Amino acid sequence: MIGITFFRVLRNALRNFRRNVWLSIATTVIMTLTLLVISFLYVVNVIGTQVLTTFSQKVDIAVIFKNSATDEQIKTIESNVSARPDVADTHVISSEEALNQFRARHKDDPYIEQALSELQRNPLPNSLYIIAKDPQFYTDISNSLRDPSYAQFIEKVNFEDSKQIIEKLIHIMAVIKNTALLVTGIFAVLVMLIMFNTIRLAIYSFREEIDIMRLVGASRWYIQSPFILESMLVAIISVTISITTTFLLLNAGAEQINRFFFAGQNAAFDIYAYAISHWVQLIGTEFGVALLLAVMSSYIAVRRYLK
Amino acid sequence: MITFTKVSKGYSDQSPALSDITLSIPTGDFVSIVGQSGAGKSTLLKLLSAEEKPSDGSIVIDGWDITKIKNWQVPYLRRQIGVVFQDFKLLPKFTAFENIAFAMEVGGADPKEIRSSVPQILKLVNLVDKANTYPNEMSGGERQRVSIARALAYKPQILLADEPTGNLDALNSWDIVQLLIKINKLGTTVLLATHNDDIVNALKKRVITLNQGKLVSDQEGGTYKL
Repeated sequence: MIGITFFRVLRNALRNFRRNVWLSIATTVIMTLTLLVISFLYVVNVIGTQVLTTFSQKVDIAVIFKNSATDEQIKTIESNVSARPDVADTHVISSEEALNQFRARHKDDPYIEQALSELQRNPLPNSLYIIAKDPQFYTDISNSLRDPSYAQFIEKVNFEDSKQIIEKLIHIMAVIKNTALLVTGIFAVLVMLIMFNTIRLAIYSFREEIDIMRLVGASRWYIQSPFILESMLVAIISVTISITTTFLLLNAGAEQINRFFFAGQNAAFDIYAYAISHWVQLIGTEFGVALLLAVMSSYIAVRRYLK
Repeated sequence: MITFTKVSKGYSDQSPALSDITLSIPTGDFVSIVGQSGAGKSTLLKLLSAEEKPSDGSIVIDGWDITKIKNWQVPYLRRQIGVVFQDFKLLPKFTAFENIAFAMEVGGADPKEIRSSVPQILKLVNLVDKANTYPNEMSGGERQRVSIARALAYKPQILLADEPTGNLDALNSWDIVQLLIKINKLGTTVLLATHNDDIVNALKKRVITLNQGKLVSDQEGGTYKL
């Protein structure tokens, strides 16, 4: 009985879709565009987060010690800093190590070697490099190093340049996200209005049947389900087109995206592989949004008519 | 048994469509409801099929007070009451068979039941040979018989016929009335709202006369008097 009724409701939904085929296509196109904006938002978010992560891995706080600071004092400061919960790693580079690294880097430059040998002492200071667990923690860590008790040992804390770049990146990400959210919102409202009118027109073309259905004792569920199912059908088709387009575009553009955003990085980032491995999240979000918009608009439209 | 107790129906800006109606109709009765246009005949039938709700009073059908009916119960009530209209209300793109099957589908009948019941109903209304004919290929009388057949799809206890002969010539009108008598003889209570005095006088059944929403006469074996 339930199976037969469901089959009839489904058949009526397909008939509705066919009878208003151009309107159904228009609704499908608008819904697909909305979902593509959501896909875009998703990709921007993933790439943006990845760029930030990659960049922030390269950012650190460099603490330059005064020449008077002893190895023991430096060790104490390092252990204090590494005990912080927001610090991922610390690394001390002694003045000798720093000189060796500097020499190695400029081994082909005789003028630098000559200048160094003319100096009576090692000009490079002891330094401590700190990597935070998240870029947002750098300000706090940097401030903690400005504690007066450290002032006699620390010459300088280098962080401001990196801070500005990180803040700029976070700001750009936020602007892109907000714009995409706004566009998604506008499209969502458009989809709801168009879907609402599609169902109203469908109801109009079926008004005779609906009146007779009511007359012969059709339940409200039996009358309204085909219209809701029709809009769900539009949602499913839209999600299928949107997801297929998204994956095809990501597959085609993954290399360019990697080259553009992650050039010169040790590990390449494959956005297509990422999307494939997170397909449940992406498809789930699009299905959720599409079905919610479809069911809400058609439910309101039918309910208003049946009242 | 249908019982109306002090039933009134008013619309905000008009005089009441029905006023203080009290009457009983035993199961299996055949009742003609007569009155001029606007007397309240259609309103009385609409109250029975819960298309309208009374402003006052109660209507009880076999112990079920339908004035207190919930929205979700309306379909169940309508499956017990067949309704026939002056304008037939048939689906033009459906054949006679499909029009009747449509009503059965809506009620959840399974395909096997539809296949076996529809020909029987068509036989009852004498339209077996028109099963695959579309409404626009039929005469008015045939269309009304399809409409009656559809109303019988659920084997209703009550059949409400609102001016079923209003669009028909005398010959077809008599065919329809004969069919209603046949259905009544099978045990269905029939309420016939009509203007047609010839039919009412010839029927020699109970006649309820309404005038400006009031019950002015209720006679067994009555005649059309206005």
